[in-house]
Amino acid sequence: MRMITMQREGVAVTQAKDIARDASLGRQFSIQADVVVVGSGAGGSVVAYEMAKAGKKVLVLESGRYWPSAEFTESLGDTLSKVYRDQAAQANTTTDVLFLEGNCIGGSTVIGAGVMQRPPDEIFKRWSEDLGLTDLSREKLEPYYAQVQSWLNVNTNEAHEINTTAHKVIQGCERMGFSWRPVARNVKNCALTGHCLAGCPSDRKMSAQVTHLPWAAAYGARIFSDTEVSRVLMKGGRATGVEAVIRDPDTGNVVSNVRVDAQVVVLAAGAIHSPMILQRSQAPDRGGNIGANMAIQPFTQVLATFKEELFGFQGALVGVEVDEFMNSDGFTFYSALAEPEQLMAVGEQEAGDEHIKFMKSYKHMAGLNAFAIDEGNGRVVWEGDHLGGRKVIKWSPTRADFERMTRATSIASRIFFSAGAERVWLPTFEKMHADNVFELDQKLAQVNYGINGIYSYRMNSFTPHGTCRMGLDPYTSVVSADGEVHGVSGLYVADASIFPTPVPSTPHWTVQALATYVAGRINARASSHFLS
Amino acid sequence: MTQKNDIPPALLGGLEPLSRRSLLRLAAVSGVALTAGCARVFGRRDAPEALTYVNLTEDEVRVVTQFTRAVLPTSRHGLPDCINEIPTIKNVDIMVGNMDPTQRQLLALGLWVYEYRPMASFKFKRFSKLNEEKAHAYVVAMQEGAFFERGLTTTLKALVTLNYWRDSRTWSALDYWGPVTERWGVRRLGNAPLPQA
Repeated sequence: MRMITMQREGVAVTQAKDIARDASLGRQFSIQADVVVVGSGAGGSVVAYEMAKAGKKVLVLESGRYWPSAEFTESLGDTLSKVYRDQAAQANTTTDVLFLEGNCIGGSTVIGAGVMQRPPDEIFKRWSEDLGLTDLSREKLEPYYAQVQSWLNVNTNEAHEINTTAHKVIQGCERMGFSWRPVARNVKNCALTGHCLAGCPSDRKMSAQVTHLPWAAAYGARIFSDTEVSRVLMKGGRATGVEAVIRDPDTGNVVSNVRVDAQVVVLAAGAIHSPMILQRSQAPDRGGNIGANMAIQPFTQVLATFKEELFGFQGALVGVEVDEFMNSDGFTFYSALAEPEQLMAVGEQEAGDEHIKFMKSYKHMAGLNAFAIDEGNGRVVWEGDHLGGRKVIKWSPTRADFERMTRATSIASRIFFSAGAERVWLPTFEKMHADNVFELDQKLAQVNYGINGIYSYRMNSFTPHGTCRMGLDPYTSVVSADGEVHGVSGLYVADASIFPTPVPSTPHWTVQALATYVAGRINARASSHFLS
Repeated sequence: MTQKNDIPPALLGGLEPLSRRSLLRLAAVSGVALTAGCARVFGRRDAPEALTYVNLTEDEVRVVTQFTRAVLPTSRHGLPDCINEIPTIKNVDIMVGNMDPTQRQLLALGLWVYEYRPMASFKFKRFSKLNEEKAHAYVVAMQEGAFFERGLTTTLKALVTLNYWRDSRTWSALDYWGPVTERWGVRRLGNAPLPQA
């Protein structure tokens, strides 16, 4: 019987400083593995664990640095600069949409709000029936969702996890007759600090840092941070490994170049970076789908001020969701008001005395965030050669996206007015607020689509997906029903990239369910991938 | 102060050389405004007068300072001063040092536009030469201007306000409690147990 031991806290991670200290490695070295997993977030951590548990020699490569949860400060400003990719400045070409993602061991699971949601039945029906991906039916995926639920402690918020912001949303919904429910989160004994976006220093959020990564390490997986994969190596239609660069995270200087020889390569670097690795690797792309079809699930926040003091930033960050509109309109609302720094990323926050007045009303505020489905018209492109090029993210709202956002803003505002808000602050680049519904309609009519909707609503994205979509036809998709890149044996993708269509629900749960499924497919085909 | 990020001469002739795309991309800075990894380097209690600016040019410091004063009239509201107590400009300066070259150039361009954007109602004066009241009016006018002016203003506003409000000394004015885990004595749970086979 094999004895498995696991660290009580933290993860064993080989960092750039460890490589620099090891004189035997030099500026160039190579490693052998059965499976190399690129990315340590929601998808990569799951695959690493499943493959390590199956007895494979697994190596995880993460481009971000390792911030142990014990070092989280609960200061959002600090966290944005240290833990978020590009210091939270990753933006589209018109720079009016920010793409926020974790750039650290654990990826975005570390900085997410922990909201777990399954897509509506229509999505599974479309995947399994319309697209012929029969394994993606609700029934067949159910065991994977159930496993994630059990292992990550996914539970519906209880009464003590509904804070004052959420109560205002409930009050508004009750008066409007809208359906709402407590959200499900992957949290164990939440300490109600409200600092989810800055990471959970007490390890209550079930991020990859405290679940699949230490579990994978317990089964022998090795994890490297500060290691950016430049391309996948391929020979004769098979993936043979990856090339990567290890950089000092403080200076950006190259510490070493590493080549990993592996029998299976799994990309799980997220919907922005996985396709760019494929592009840099010149992976076959018959239909020009790598990086295309990006849905970003744009989110925007309506703020409201109430006469009474709410201290709506206290308690569980996300309390309830308004699910009335998911099927009819494709958007869901979540109650949330984060740290004061977060207010700078939403809406237009006035200047001078008005700005100070706005900020001083923080304790009277509540926030309602609309996450909307979009049409999946975005694209990510790696421009230039594999070492010296740059990433380009293209997404602007279509007119339909814009109109959906207008409707979402209108509904969120009405919910708050129904709950007694004195003022709502609209999430636009123009200075815009309303003190009643009549004024609201007037103001929203002034927000115009303009040129491609740029600088209209302030939208950001936590959850891009679909850039390496799964499908049966190599001309219209990137990966097969197994998650393997069409035309490259042993090269898999296991993150939000592989969603076959845009989804209106938060993707975390689905990413982990699909990653478990992909790991299962790799194991099922072990005899064709692994020599031993 | 260094001048290493001087604006290319081709851009000094007026607004004409600015492509719409370049102006739009100025808002890259809005993302960067969410950055400011400054406190960890310099510490939040550094006295601003003891700090020097190594990444912003002298001209840029003037514009950012004027902008900060216009957006954050802290002295009138009993708040820690946005220049002399809270190192807002220093925070911006450090952040600028971490920008990639493209973003850095766009910021330079944006600040230059802010300084020299000709407006008849302000007698074509440079932004940094306006008095506080006029500077505030200028910011408001830009905020109500064309879409790229709105984008630029929102960007710069996010840049300076984030670098002010992130400082814990400003939080008491908001009745915001800040970090609580340690104060509340919340116990760390460590890693979740391995799933049972």
